[in-house]
Amino acid sequence: MIDNTRRSRKHGARAAVISIFVFLLIWQAATTFTSLGILMPSPLISLSAFFKSFIVPIGPYPIFIHIYWSLVRVVPFYIVGAIAGIILGITMGWYKPVAAIFRPIFEILRPIPPIAWIPIAIVWFGIGEGSKWFLIFLAAFMNVTINSFAGARSTDPVLVGCSKMLGASDWQIFTTVVLPGSVPYIFAGLQVALSSSWATIVAAEMIRSSEGVGWIIISSQETNNSVNTLVGVVAIGIVGFILAVIMREVEAVLVKWTKRDI
Amino acid sequence: MDNPKVKVINLTKKFGDLLVLDDVSFEVAEKEFMCVVGPTGCGKTTFLNSLTKLYLPTSGEILVNGEPVDMKKNNISYIFQEQSTMPWLTVEENVGFGLAIKGVDAKAKREAVDEVLEIVGLNDYRKYYPNELSASMLQRVVIARAFATKPELLLMDEPYGQLDIELRFKLEDELIKLWQRTQTTVLFITHNIEEAVYLSEKILVLTNKPTKIKKIIDNHLPRPRNVVDPEFIKLRNEVTELIKWW
Repeated sequence: MIDNTRRSRKHGARAAVISIFVFLLIWQAATTFTSLGILMPSPLISLSAFFKSFIVPIGPYPIFIHIYWSLVRVVPFYIVGAIAGIILGITMGWYKPVAAIFRPIFEILRPIPPIAWIPIAIVWFGIGEGSKWFLIFLAAFMNVTINSFAGARSTDPVLVGCSKMLGASDWQIFTTVVLPGSVPYIFAGLQVALSSSWATIVAAEMIRSSEGVGWIIISSQETNNSVNTLVGVVAIGIVGFILAVIMREVEAVLVKWTKRDI
Repeated sequence: MDNPKVKVINLTKKFGDLLVLDDVSFEVAEKEFMCVVGPTGCGKTTFLNSLTKLYLPTSGEILVNGEPVDMKKNNISYIFQEQSTMPWLTVEENVGFGLAIKGVDAKAKREAVDEVLEIVGLNDYRKYYPNELSASMLQRVVIARAFATKPELLLMDEPYGQLDIELRFKLEDELIKLWQRTQTTVLFITHNIEEAVYLSEKILVLTNKPTKIKKIIDNHLPRPRNVVDPEFIKLRNEVTELIKWW
């Protein structure tokens, strides 16, 4: 069984490399042989610009400082949003009165994308860091809340009955059955929330900033520098991917009892 | 019976107009293994659920040790038809779950867990998670968990209904071993007559709905029992005759 997973993982990695390579090949061909070349740079130019940007600064900083700045904005408020989301989601999922109070409001707020809050965020928190933090928080909070809620709701009544029978108090049922049972759902939410928070950084840095991966995209738009736009896009993609991998590894370590393959 | 472990007096249960249990009275002695058999859908599960107060009986009383049953006070364990291990706990944590809930200290917990794991033969699997085990192993974990708390009364609702015959035989033998070792009072519900004759000291035969007690049969066949022994077959046929509703 272990051999099988190892083999399938190997296959998966090979397939990933091939698919990315073919994609780049098509992109290269399209920009070389068609008029698409006038509209956007080829992958060779984009990727070499990306690697060059580690040494040659874009604006004030090289690319890794931009990435650092974006991460500093995302990670702490992603964590704050996630914790708040887990608490609200689980209590809403398990305690009916909590759901009765918060769920209607939450369901109305949920479909609103974080960027729709930009004007209000600016009024509330100014154009400094506060409004960016607020958007990241929202992106994390909404996704984690809804998943934690689903997790607590899906608690197996047989397990609740059986811990009741073994003499568990309501609080023990909550901590020993509801909470651990929700963990896979919470992680699914954390995963979605992480990409969503990271994606929101572009919008957050549109508000006003002088550094960050979002800033690279906005400023390159202003100067019509499509190579730098793609450098920003590649940076966002790669960092987002690495964050997702880290998250998955954390889950694999913390939640040994369930093997999800996504 | 002087001091019955469980005394059920005129137990009646209605769901709306539907009469499910009709004036059922019986007693279970301390350390007795009683099997309850009856036709499918005769309300066997309702019967158990009333005993644990998952359903409130419409009328009648259930006494444990001479006092009304109280799940908080009485240590009553219940084994469901459905598989009920906690997927996030290892085998040993699952088996110790009830003890952990009751706040038993680590050393006593460890000893109790070791003992029952030994009997059900899951010692080598103690660090495994449920998703790595087969259905019969999971059922063993559940049974081990119930016995680990040393319940004064153990209720089992067709625990082996989903298993194939070979595994069932094996688990039945384990169950007998656990019962003999722990001296627990067991009330075991099944629709399998052979199983009832194999396991029990006493067989409670129920009628079709509304459920009444048809007969209570003493079963003193010597152990280990043999399913092809003429005495065994005779008793099995006797119970079958009582259950026939066709």
